[in-house]
Amino acid sequence: MAESMKKKRSFDLSMELIVGATLLIVILLSALFAHQLFPDGVDKIDLLSRLTPPFAKPEHPLGSDPLGRDVLARVVAGGRISLLIGVTSVIGAVTLGVTIGLIAGFYRGITDMLMMRFVDIQLALPFILLAITFIAILGGSLINTIILLIVSQWVQYARLVRGQVLALRDREFILAARAIGVKDWRIIVQHLLPNLTGPVIVLMTLNVANNILLESSLTFLGMGVDPTIPTWGGMLAEGRSYLQTAWWVSVFPGLAIMLTVLGLNLLGDWMRDQLDPTGKTSL
Amino acid sequence: MNKFLKTTAAVAVMAIASMGMATSQSMAEGKLSVSVALDPGSWDPIDTFLVAWGAVGSNIFDGLTERDTNAKLHPGLATSWEVLDEGVRIRFKLREGVKFHNGEPFNAEAVKFTFDRLLGEIGAKGPQRANYTSVESVEIIDDYTVDFHLTQPDPVLLTKLAGYGAMIVPPKYITEKGEDYFNTHPVGTGPFSFVSYEPKVDLELKANPDYWGDVAKVSELEYRFISELTTAVAELQAGRLDIVEDLPISMLSVVKDDAKLDVVSTAGPTVYGLRFNTRDGITANKDVRKAIVMAVDRSTIIKSLLAGEAEEIASFQSSLSFGYDPELKPLPYNPEEAKKLLKAAGVAPGTEIQIDIRAGKPTFNEVVQAVGAYLQTVGLKAVIKPYENSVFLNDIVPQGKTGALFQQSWGGWTLDYDNTAYLLYHTGQKWNPYGTDAKLDAMLEEQRPMTDVAKREELLKNIAAYVADEALEMPLYGLKAIYGVNKRLEGFVPAPDNRVKLNTVSIKQ
Repeated sequence: MAESMKKKRSFDLSMELIVGATLLIVILLSALFAHQLFPDGVDKIDLLSRLTPPFAKPEHPLGSDPLGRDVLARVVAGGRISLLIGVTSVIGAVTLGVTIGLIAGFYRGITDMLMMRFVDIQLALPFILLAITFIAILGGSLINTIILLIVSQWVQYARLVRGQVLALRDREFILAARAIGVKDWRIIVQHLLPNLTGPVIVLMTLNVANNILLESSLTFLGMGVDPTIPTWGGMLAEGRSYLQTAWWVSVFPGLAIMLTVLGLNLLGDWMRDQLDPTGKTSL
Repeated sequence: MNKFLKTTAAVAVMAIASMGMATSQSMAEGKLSVSVALDPGSWDPIDTFLVAWGAVGSNIFDGLTERDTNAKLHPGLATSWEVLDEGVRIRFKLREGVKFHNGEPFNAEAVKFTFDRLLGEIGAKGPQRANYTSVESVEIIDDYTVDFHLTQPDPVLLTKLAGYGAMIVPPKYITEKGEDYFNTHPVGTGPFSFVSYEPKVDLELKANPDYWGDVAKVSELEYRFISELTTAVAELQAGRLDIVEDLPISMLSVVKDDAKLDVVSTAGPTVYGLRFNTRDGITANKDVRKAIVMAVDRSTIIKSLLAGEAEEIASFQSSLSFGYDPELKPLPYNPEEAKKLLKAAGVAPGTEIQIDIRAGKPTFNEVVQAVGAYLQTVGLKAVIKPYENSVFLNDIVPQGKTGALFQQSWGGWTLDYDNTAYLLYHTGQKWNPYGTDAKLDAMLEEQRPMTDVAKREELLKNIAAYVADEALEMPLYGLKAIYGVNKRLEGFVPAPDNRVKLNTVSIKQ
């Protein structure tokens, strides 16, 4: 009985890996080679065939946007900036947030207090205010957009991780490690970090999607990228006013975001199970 | 006893109900619902410059003059006027027998009160006073005659008296009830009078049966504040709104396809274009500027992206504007000639050209992307840079930090080219970061104090031609004023400036 359950579980795991990884690899590769796949489709404006519905013309399989550009080509190419912004900003925020959360939670005391007050200050700043200040000082560019997203989001991870560490630091396995003289950094890396992956990965997958959309709202503040460069968030925003007349302009980039997040979720689930030390023994 | 009471009550209720029916039948019937994008917050004419106020205020208040939907001036609360003393004095004969909604009489006193208030301390707090500073004082000659003394001739003043800050307000009412009360309980002489106002929700008005002009054909008028146009259009489709102003191009087909609704449009005052940085880079060269204009097929942009709801322009004014010259034609679309000009000017293919725009304007954003694509065809590489609105309007443009091209849109209900040209082209003006053309300055200064209407128009036309010849900008289009209207309405006439007077509209049963 126990044997069969275990078998079934490992099968599920690999399905998650296969589907998740395939989705992401396909999206990533096609985004990278979009201009090779669609030699003249990504930026070509054709005002006379604007808003062609999907499946109507062979040259626009998923229809065309208000400027007559091919939706399929733009969705594929749009992954480039969107994934770059979504993934790098989350990785940056996780690195910063997890490090600070671990240190604050593990050492407590004055370090903890100072860091958490800083987190409080950061949380009290509304995102839009932060974004506008950022534009005023640094100006808008791709790198600045990523930095802004990191700066505005690391606190979530810091808070989450610190809470987890506080709950774990007095557990027996940590106390035991300390008792036998394991160094601090080893306790943190080997014993605490693996126990945090679950919640952090969940938060990460949610944030990637969120950041892809935030990029488009930043465009409204004049901070995003050149509107001629396709991004999923930008396409969604552009298509919003055509929702009733030309659904395909916004539905397909939305679908792309959904598939990316699904892929990331599946991969994240799989990774969590692999890294979670309790996962292997608890079932 | 009890039964008797009940019966009497029932009879009384029926009687009252039938009385109600009788009175409402004697008057015009029906309720008109109109959407307004913004709640101005105060209904005092001197507190705001919002178009939303103009749309509503024109139905509550009247000015001394009135402008029709073809931008022609007519008598309003003044029946006639005479321009005297070389343009520095205007004598108005006032309409007799007009009453404010609260019963107060309209007379010379009310006119003087209105302008003393506008030009005095209270007016100084609002944005409207700046428009009327040419008025020095108002003198009462008799009960129905006033003289306006001006500091200098102001050719646009008579138009400005037809709206906004110059709307006549009731002196006794404001003095008795106070300014704050007046803000939320407006009283004027217009075709509709105030019933109730719920901030951010709606403003209810009813027909004024004693209106001096055409008495309203509906009994009630409701303005609902709906900032999201998608919502407004959905409400229009559901029949809960009769008129939606400023319909976005992207939603035209939604309204057109609905059997119950109509799209009604007319030439509007707002023009859009891209202006050149005439100081730095390749666009300092006039031929390059002309080439850039010629590279862009503006009429195709209008036909496709704007669904034909715009007119091609040759100068920065709409066909309604005073100073508009139908003879002045825009530079033709000619990419071959453009390439030749660029080559002659030594502009290398692939040269980058930056276009600065305001972020968050979907329609113009699309137009600029199309412009960029056209520039690509003559070998220029367009880079579009969106800015946050206030950064763009307060820093990038006035400080002269733009790229080669930058967005300019210009409205203005006064529809006088002077209002545009002086602010866009005169040296040192906020909206003129680059130009320092002494000849243009002199032309702009010369027409300002002119009282000879025909001569001034000629001069304004010359200015427009000069600007077009210098290619100081790429005029793109003048957007029409577009309304979504329920077909059950009769007598709806679209106004170019959102100030639709609704007393002529009736509801088909």
